[in-house]
Amino acid sequence: MKVKIGLEIHQQMATERKMYCNCPTNYQDVPPNTNVCPICTGMPGSKPLPPNERTVDAAIEIALMLGCKIITDQTIYIQRKHYDYPDLPSGYQRTSLPIAKDGELQGVRIREVHLEEDPGQYDPVAGTADYNRSGVPLVEIVTEPDIRSPEEARKFLRVLTRVLEYTGKVRPEAGGAMRMDVNISLEGGGRVEVKNINSVKGAYRALKFEIIRQREKLKRGEVVVRETRAYLESQMTTVPMRTKELEEDYRYIPDPDIYPLILDAGRVKSVRKGMVEAPHLREQRLVKQYKISRGAAGVIVSERELANLYEAVAREVDPKLASTWFRTRLKKVLNYMKLSAADVRFTPKQIVSLLRMVEAGEVTPEQGELILRELVKHPSDPHKLLQKLGLKGLKLAELRAAVAKVIHANPRAMKDYLAGKEEALHFLAGKVMKLTHGRADPRKVVKLLRAKIVGKK
Amino acid sequence: MGWGTLGKLEAIKSGELSAAENVQRALERIGKLNKKLNAFIELNPNAEAEAIDRKFKHGAKVGKLAGLTIGVKSNISVKGLRSTCASRTLENYVSTYDAEVVKRIRAEGGIVVGMTNMDEFACGSSGETSAFGPTDNPAAPGHIPGGSSSGAGAAIAAGLCDFCIGTDTGGSIRNPASHCGVVGVKPTYGLVPRQGLIDLGMSLDQIGPVAPDVKGAALLLEVIAGKTPDECVMLDVERVSYLDRLGDGVKGMRIGVSPKFAELTDPAVMQVINGAVEKLRDMGTKIVEVDLPNLERGLPAYYLIVSVEFFSATRKFDGRKYGKRIEEVCGEEVLRRILRGQYISRKEYRGKYYQRALQVRTLIRHELMAALKRVDVIVGPTVPKLPHKLGAKLTPMEMYAYDYLTIPANLAGICGGVVKAGEVSGIPVGIQVQGKVLGEMEMLKVMQALEATA
Repeated sequence: MKVKIGLEIHQQMATERKMYCNCPTNYQDVPPNTNVCPICTGMPGSKPLPPNERTVDAAIEIALMLGCKIITDQTIYIQRKHYDYPDLPSGYQRTSLPIAKDGELQGVRIREVHLEEDPGQYDPVAGTADYNRSGVPLVEIVTEPDIRSPEEARKFLRVLTRVLEYTGKVRPEAGGAMRMDVNISLEGGGRVEVKNINSVKGAYRALKFEIIRQREKLKRGEVVVRETRAYLESQMTTVPMRTKELEEDYRYIPDPDIYPLILDAGRVKSVRKGMVEAPHLREQRLVKQYKISRGAAGVIVSERELANLYEAVAREVDPKLASTWFRTRLKKVLNYMKLSAADVRFTPKQIVSLLRMVEAGEVTPEQGELILRELVKHPSDPHKLLQKLGLKGLKLAELRAAVAKVIHANPRAMKDYLAGKEEALHFLAGKVMKLTHGRADPRKVVKLLRAKIVGKK
Repeated sequence: MGWGTLGKLEAIKSGELSAAENVQRALERIGKLNKKLNAFIELNPNAEAEAIDRKFKHGAKVGKLAGLTIGVKSNISVKGLRSTCASRTLENYVSTYDAEVVKRIRAEGGIVVGMTNMDEFACGSSGETSAFGPTDNPAAPGHIPGGSSSGAGAAIAAGLCDFCIGTDTGGSIRNPASHCGVVGVKPTYGLVPRQGLIDLGMSLDQIGPVAPDVKGAALLLEVIAGKTPDECVMLDVERVSYLDRLGDGVKGMRIGVSPKFAELTDPAVMQVINGAVEKLRDMGTKIVEVDLPNLERGLPAYYLIVSVEFFSATRKFDGRKYGKRIEEVCGEEVLRRILRGQYISRKEYRGKYYQRALQVRTLIRHELMAALKRVDVIVGPTVPKLPHKLGAKLTPMEMYAYDYLTIPANLAGICGGVVKAGEVSGIPVGIQVQGKVLGEMEMLKVMQALEATA
């Protein structure tokens, strides 16, 4: 059954100041209603400041990253969208006409990009409103209904998240800074819009649920009506929204208190000049420039800082070796410690010298990983870390002694190996590694073990 | 009294009259007359002039308004005072900050004595829609003072204070200035910051002076005009000065008049205006006829635009933050405008009403701009008819008809000022001088010349 999915994504931008006043935007870090002023609380008589130029530039940059055409030399009105809700201090939200159109990401066409401001936060249970968030700038991205499945939607959103976070101009998705509405229709049914989705995961679940719901209806010969539904995160289901909310007419008017935006080609050019490379384009370049695998490049560009670090390192050592290390060991260590590349405090030089040690055979890859782990925790010269961890200086005699000791202590394993059980050798090797506190090269250990056992026989 | 505004300023500077005395006298006069006039609806208990007198004594620098008393229209924010907009909606709303104009007035030593009465949310042309009761006209007792800056017009006519600041969206400064026989100026849109002004129609609202004389109006305008980086929709004007060139005379100026004015205006009123125009001719100006074929179309366009903007502006009075939901407690005219705005801004009617109104606005702007290319100012009546008796019942259309001649300046964003030209049966008639965008200097010169001959 043919499925069509389109998305409207609202993403908070990471500016220091709000859109139309000078209040700070770190609404989560401060007590309720402390990042507020007469403007963002809509006090009688207050007038907006001119739109925060940084947010406009950030939105242009995001639109460019998505391959959109910026609308230049035209009047872009900032409109008032009226609705009545406690989180909206003036009774309207300011939203611009599109600043850009006709982009593309992952084969999904981007219809338009525009600017909005976030409302405050209303707690219906407590009956309180907090306006710290009111006026935080948002960029809204609207796609064409080019997505065919919830999986595709999830993949698209992940790629989009990566692109957005790459710009460094948005707040992380994980903090609820990305919210979205999805619309989905199955062949033969009406278009259903689902609102109130606060994460990529939520979008996936809402779409999954809707497909099942709509498909079952169509199977039973029922009609899927065109409607707007709300996603209930706690239940992972969707419910119809009250009709009152649907009949709403926002009565858009251009805000008379703000001059419309007019973007000129010069401004777009200067934003383009200072823009970071989009991750999907960077991925292609890394593959070509460093002759590394697409898979490795994909992992490396997943975070801008990781890719920056990689490129700094790849200039100094074998890019392939570096890419393998970044993709596997570094990523593993970071994931294990729940860190992102942005949190890394060691220098490119330090990881370069570690990779050189591995390249020269001074340490084994396994030892290298131990050093890497330490490097993440306490950045320092890898040679020193090697000392500190006591990984250096395992003499051949020591290793031989350890091997002999292990074989002696595990006669049964030796017999098993001789009987053809290859695993027994791994078991023994593990014992040797443990005895030598990971200082031995596993490949050497296996070789010695094998020689010793076979020799013994 | 009898000093004129600048004379009084001199008297305060020379010590002949102390600032404290000036404030005291204003408060006494308000105490004596306000009960009948109802021009002020809130007094400032902290109106304090001692600090200014001390400065004079020590020869310290004082501002351009040092010691003068000011009444502020109740839709402008004055920290600590109630900006009620003369509505039950904001009956207990105390401003938490000073409007930009109030800041500037205070910085120049002006002393806010209180908040003046007005039509509710500036929706009216008679002063009768105030939730705090109507204002009487001291210049024609028993008649309306005009509106919506009704209290401002009456306060100046009765000498309750030295200045008032009012607001003008479709004539709300000029109309009461005409009816009360005082001076009022609606500045060019974007010349005076609106920060702190509670909206009626944001694309039309402008704060301006109401004063006993043209020099006073010019002085106050110098203080409040000029851009602030904290406001978006403003003209790029740092500061203005008018007083030094006010007396330059009008000889050689080109004065525009339109046959349209007589079509729309009571002949008795028109007679006074024609007399004033003749005086201007005698002063060596050139009287030029200009064509304003669509002037009267401004009225319906205006009421559509202002209603849509007012509907939007009043959404914040939702009953959650300021006590009462506006629709539940407001008067008839306010409700009429909200409902009209709500109706015509509906998606299905956008093209039909609002967009059309904006097109008419553009048409009128072009028409006035074209006329003002040929002349320095356009001179004519302010209000088409004399003020009615307080309490007389008018239909909404009859009430709106007061605004035919003042609305075009707001739609076009140009400046307009009013000065008394004469009387009809003892009722003042003000003449309106409309100037170009930022043509305040020419406009004030003509007003000054007219004032001198009145």
